[in-house]
Amino acid sequence: MKDLKTTYLGLSIKNPIVVGSSGLASTIGGIKKLANAGAAAIVLKSVFEEEIKAEAEQTVGQQLGMDENNLEFYDYYDYQVKNEVLENYVSLIREAKEAVDIPIIASINCSSYSEWVSFANKIEDAGADAIELNIFKLPFGINDEASEIEKVYFDIVRKVKERLSIPVGIKLAPYFTNLGNVINRLSHSGVSGLILFNRFTSVDYDIENDQVITGKVYSGADDYANTLRWVSISSNLAGCDIVASGGIHDYRTLVKMLLAGAASAEVVSAIYKEGPEVIGAMLKELEAWMERRNVNSINEFKGRLCQGKATNPEVFERVQFMRYFSGHKH
Amino acid sequence: MAVTKEFLKEEREQAWRVDIRKLLKNKERTALTRVHMGEVDANERILSNIEVNTGLSEEEAVNEAKRCLDCPDPTCITGCPVEINIPKFIKRIEQGDYLKAAQVLKQTSALPAVCGRVCPQEKQCEAKCFYQLKMKKEPVAIGHLERFAADYERESGQISVPEVAKGNGVKIAVIGSGPAGLTFAGDMAKQGYDVTVFEALHEIGGVLKYGIPEFRLPNSIVDVEINSLTKMGVKFENNFIVGRTATIEDLKEEGFEAFFTGSGAGLPRFMNIPGENYIGILSSNEYLTRVNLMDAANPKTDTPVISGKNVAVIGGGNTAMDSVRTAKRLGAKRAMIVYRRSMEEMPARVEEVKHAQEEGIEFLNLTNPVEYFADENGRVNKMRVQKMELGEPDASGRRRPVVIEGSEYDIEVDTVVVSVGVSPNPLIPSSLPQLETTRWGTIVVDEEKLQTSIPEMFAGGDIVRGGATVILAMGDGRNAAAAMHNYLQDKLNA
Repeated sequence: MKDLKTTYLGLSIKNPIVVGSSGLASTIGGIKKLANAGAAAIVLKSVFEEEIKAEAEQTVGQQLGMDENNLEFYDYYDYQVKNEVLENYVSLIREAKEAVDIPIIASINCSSYSEWVSFANKIEDAGADAIELNIFKLPFGINDEASEIEKVYFDIVRKVKERLSIPVGIKLAPYFTNLGNVINRLSHSGVSGLILFNRFTSVDYDIENDQVITGKVYSGADDYANTLRWVSISSNLAGCDIVASGGIHDYRTLVKMLLAGAASAEVVSAIYKEGPEVIGAMLKELEAWMERRNVNSINEFKGRLCQGKATNPEVFERVQFMRYFSGHKH
Repeated sequence: MAVTKEFLKEEREQAWRVDIRKLLKNKERTALTRVHMGEVDANERILSNIEVNTGLSEEEAVNEAKRCLDCPDPTCITGCPVEINIPKFIKRIEQGDYLKAAQVLKQTSALPAVCGRVCPQEKQCEAKCFYQLKMKKEPVAIGHLERFAADYERESGQISVPEVAKGNGVKIAVIGSGPAGLTFAGDMAKQGYDVTVFEALHEIGGVLKYGIPEFRLPNSIVDVEINSLTKMGVKFENNFIVGRTATIEDLKEEGFEAFFTGSGAGLPRFMNIPGENYIGILSSNEYLTRVNLMDAANPKTDTPVISGKNVAVIGGGNTAMDSVRTAKRLGAKRAMIVYRRSMEEMPARVEEVKHAQEEGIEFLNLTNPVEYFADENGRVNKMRVQKMELGEPDASGRRRPVVIEGSEYDIEVDTVVVSVGVSPNPLIPSSLPQLETTRWGTIVVDEEKLQTSIPEMFAGGDIVRGGATVILAMGDGRNAAAAMHNYLQDKLNA
């Protein structure tokens, strides 16, 4: 029996597999299934600021009466939707905490924080073990300076830390002018963990019908490279847990992330594709690998191949294929 | 209940209308300028509850009536939810027969003096006036004229009471005495039904009394309309909460055969931001009801409201304007509207905003509260707000408010009135599990008949619409009365 214990946002967890925020954890039934399958912690389905706005707008669009005579009734309707969504979310946290004995992490997806202050407290009061903030604004504004966009993150962390005593994690996007700098500074800003990286919906084209469509929904088993690079680069210097997220579909990628220095890993797409039992299978194979490689605990090999410890650290910084592939022939 | 074109044509071709039209050429009519109703000076009116608008004189009313072209296709009527025969009543005013003008109004509107004061005519009938649609000129002041005719009739003492059919002995219960309930009661009484209106509060009138302040709609005006209903045989039961004092089943046992629910939208909404439960923060519903109906402005009453010196009202609707102007009249040094969009997006009537500005109300637009703070006794003393900017248009067509991060600042307050909308009164739906409701608490009805999922129950007004105007609620009352009459007749003949 190997010791799989590790951490997630500073919380002690029984193994490195955390179920990332998704619809898998939107009901108590789903949460129980994931816990029974061996998940070490579960991030609940995210409350999306954008979804709340969209729902409020849809209602207003449908219900606005003749000559807007009921505009007063719907002028603040977004608050009604938000309160309803948040009350349901708080109930879900409470029920999840009663139903399972693993850490339950709340998740908020927002582009600003100021309107979420009261909710963060409610999440804490409901018993969430930690909160994952998924902050992202697509930088559409061509006049926005990169430094201004980065500042939002630090302001949010400061405000959240003023309010909450539970651990706070930030799920980052990989789109920063100087990603390494942002990861390093955020990791020392008081957060308990950084999750690398957030997965966004992508856009694609249907070329037969000239339609813009939603791109691939799930990650694939080959989609982990960028995460691996940045976990490796940042884990050694980070002031908090670095959590890997993106393309972790089997034990091999899980091991790679741990070798790179991830404290734990968030898994979602693999569970969607193969069911919750994939968690148990990955853990079993992780243990088998540890047996083969003669290690007894996660801590023994965690970060062994991070950039700071690797024998050939320059590989992490190489971005062009150069001569290695210049003579490559199909 | 649509008024047919043929009917309107027939009415328009009556000799007296033809004669009136001949008195002036259309060019002469359109050359006249719109009347402006007098107002009590702002400095004077904020010292009391005196009605702000003073009404039209006979001369002013007749001159304004002359502007009406008596169009062959009166588009103005299409803008009126109860389809008042607008050109006809206006031409009666031009003719000088003001009592007949009032009778025209009463054919379709149970509360003309009320509607003349609180209807948003600029968005309804006046928005559809020929002057507005085709000439881009100020529309005929239909609302002012409506008020004039109704006031004239009342002040003349010759108030006409509509004819009532012989009693048929069928008992009908009306739940709520607001504009929908009163209109419904009147129409059913006209057809000979034995109508009883149940009102939860101690005063009849619903939102007309508890929600709209005296300076905008004097209670005496509403009382006159209620007296007319009493004369028509409608009975009123105050302090009677259907669903608590007695259930629908109890009323059925007492012989009531059908019900109309017009229980309104009296459940206040809050923003659920930190500190909103501190003492001194109350809903506009509570604030206005206590001042309007419970004499709470008087410090000697059992439950006075504190006359705050720094009063912030959150919201930009008519209720917010009523609240902030009430605060000013109660002696606030600083009476503020705090609204997250700009003046342009406010749902309040332009007239209400103008009056508020004249009265010295401060408008903190593009500003939104995020937290309240209190003193050691738990009484609110400070409000944290943040600045907003306008983004892209949202579903309402208005530009959406977007937070300016890091723009928070504090404002000293001792009273905060939250006026961010209301929800439907939950009492009736919660006491009748079989009654179908929407996710936002309104009762589901058949759009034409206003019949609910319980066949003998009809509903209208804010309990169905969520929140709308007095005139729309009245329209519902009328339609529901016609539909219920048909329903009961069919049942009788089955």
